Amino acid sequence: MESPFSGGEFKPEELYKASAERFFELLKTFAAPSPAAGGAAHDWSQMAGPLATQLEQWLRMSQSAGSWFSAPGAAAAAPGFMGSQWPFGPLPLGPAAVQKPETQRIWELAARFAQLQTQLAAHWGEIARSAAQRFIARAGVPSAPPSLDQTLKLYELWVTCAEEAYAATARGEDFSRLQSELANVSAAILVEQRRHAESLAKAFGLPTRNEVDVLYAHVKELSRRLAELAAGSAPPQRPAARAKTAKAGKAARTKGSARKRRGRA
Amino acid sequence: MNVASALGGGIFPELALRLTETLTRLQAARGVSVGCSAKRAVFSLGKTTLYEYLPLAPARAGHLPILICFALVNRPYVLDLQPERSLVRRLLEAGLGVYLIDWGDPDEADRHTDLEDYIEQHLGGCVRHVLGSSGSEALNLLGVCQGGVLSLCYTALHSAHVARLITITTPVDFHTPANLLSRWVRGVDTELLAACGNVPGEVLNGVFLGLMPFRLTQEKYVRLLTGRPEQRAVEDFVRMERWIFDSPPQAGAALAQFVRWFYQENAFVQGTLRIAGERVDLAHVQQPLLNLYALDDHIVPPDASAAIRRYIGSRDYTEHAIRTGHIGMYVSGVACKEIPRRIVAWLEERR
Repeated sequence: MESPFSGGEFKPEELYKASAERFFELLKTFAAPSPAAGGAAHDWSQMAGPLATQLEQWLRMSQSAGSWFSAPGAAAAAPGFMGSQWPFGPLPLGPAAVQKPETQRIWELAARFAQLQTQLAAHWGEIARSAAQRFIARAGVPSAPPSLDQTLKLYELWVTCAEEAYAATARGEDFSRLQSELANVSAAILVEQRRHAESLAKAFGLPTRNEVDVLYAHVKELSRRLAELAAGSAPPQRPAARAKTAKAGKAARTKGSARKRRGRA
Repeated sequence: MNVASALGGGIFPELALRLTETLTRLQAARGVSVGCSAKRAVFSLGKTTLYEYLPLAPARAGHLPILICFALVNRPYVLDLQPERSLVRRLLEAGLGVYLIDWGDPDEADRHTDLEDYIEQHLGGCVRHVLGSSGSEALNLLGVCQGGVLSLCYTALHSAHVARLITITTPVDFHTPANLLSRWVRGVDTELLAACGNVPGEVLNGVFLGLMPFRLTQEKYVRLLTGRPEQRAVEDFVRMERWIFDSPPQAGAALAQFVRWFYQENAFVQGTLRIAGERVDLAHVQQPLLNLYALDDHIVPPDASAAIRRYIGSRDYTEHAIRTGHIGMYVSGVACKEIPRRIVAWLEERR
C-alpha cells in the first residue's frame, strides 16, 4: 500500500510523484495519434482498450485496492514467506516448524484467498471496461492533439467516469460480499498463524499470547475496581459550583422547551 | 521521475515545469508542523490523554467547559491543524474553556479494550476530571464523527453530566442507502476480527480511501500539479496529507464491537445497544443538541447523521448542513468559519 510515510519518514512528494506519473501516462494516451484516423483526429473508440488496461493496472496497485493484492495470496501465504507489508501477513517461522494439520488449514485458506483475488480482479476488469466505455461515449471528437485545457477537462471527465463505474460495481451485492469475505479469510489466516506461534512458544517454554491476555484481563479488572474505589472516595463538590451548574442546566431546559426546532437552522 | 521521459518528449512542457516546481515545494514542506494551540495534559488513563487548552481570551461568563471527543480512527489534531484552520482556536478566542481527548496509540496490551472501556472509563474519566476541576456538575460535550457516537452513548447513559451536546459528522442510522462502508462490512465476522487483535491504522485508511479511490488517491494530486499552488497552499496540503495517513491502530475488541453493533446491527436505530449492562436509549438524550453534518460526506452520508432527530428525546434540536465533504468539515474554508460561529452562537443562546 502506498503511503507518504515511506521507511518511517514522512515524504509527502512520494504519492504526488506516483500520481503524476500515472497522469502523464494518461496524457500520452490522450495525445497519441489514432492509427485508425491516420493521426489526424482522435478516434476514442480505439482507446477503450489501452484506457481500460491502464485503469485495471492502477486499481491493482492503488492505496485503496492494493491491500487485497499485496495480502497473502496462494504462494505468499505459505509459512515462511515474509515479503508482504500487509499486517496480516504470514509469520517468518519456516515451513519445517509447522504442524501438518495447521499447514493444511493455512494452505486451504490461502487457496480460498487466491480464488477471492481472482474474483476481485474480475471486478476490476469490469470497472475498467465500463469506465472506458463511459468516457468514450462522452468525450466527443476533439482535434488532435488536444490543448492543455482540453486535456485537463478530459482528465476530469475520465476521473468522473472511473468513479461512476467504480460506484456502480462497488455498491453491488457481489462486490460487498467479496470485501467482507476477503477480510474474513485474511483474518482466518492470521488466526491460524497465531495458533501455530502459540504452539511453538509453548514448546519452547515461552509465555503465550493467551497467557499474556489472561494477565491483561486481570490487570484490567483490578484497574476497574480501583477506579470504582477512587470514584467512591472522591471529595464532594463545592456548593457554589453546584448551584451555578444547576442554574445553567435549568436555563437550558427552560429555553429548550420553548424552542423546539426541527428544521435546518 | 524523469519528467521529460514521462512526457514522451515534452508534449506539455508547461505541465512539466509545474510538476518540478510543486515537487520542490512538497519536499520543502516535509517538516510542516501540525497542531497550533498551547495545551497541557491534565489526565490520562491507559493510552488516553485529556488535554486542556490554554485560554486565548477572557473567559465568557456563564459558559460551561467544552469537552471534545474525537473519533478513535483518526488523530484529533485536525481540529487544531493551523491557526487559520482550527475549531479549537476559534472556540478559545470566543472565551470558552476547551478540553480535548486524545485516544493515543493502542498497543497489544489494549487489544481487549472495548467500547465499554472507552465510554465508561476513558471518556467517563475525562468527563469526571473536567467536572472535578471546573467545579461544574455538567459540561458541554462535542463529539466528532465516531466520537459523536461515543458521546451519544455517554450522554444517554450519564445524562446528568452533559448540559448540552454538539455532534459533528456523527452517524446514527448506519443503514442508509448511501452508506457504502456499511455494505462492505455487513458480512465481516466480528469474532474473527476481534481474535486478530489490534488493526493497523493503514488498513482502515485503505478502506476509507477505497470508498472513492480515484478522487482520493489520484485526482487531488493532479489538481495540485495543475493548480500551480504557492508554497503556503502546498504546506496546507501537506498538513492534510500528514493527518490523513497518520492513522492510529485500533484496539481489536473495540473495533469489532463498533462494526457489529453499529455497521451491522444498526443498534441505535434498532434500540438494541447495551453498554455496561445498561440499555443505551437515545430517547434519554434530552439535552439541547446541535447537529452539524456535511452534504457531500462519503463516509457519513447526510441521511445517516440527520436521522438523529428521529431518535433523541431532546425537544431542543438544531441541525445545520454544510456543502462540503467529510474532511472538509474539519479544514475547508467554509466549515472553518461556519462551524465555530454556529457553535458559539448556539451556546450563547442557551447560556
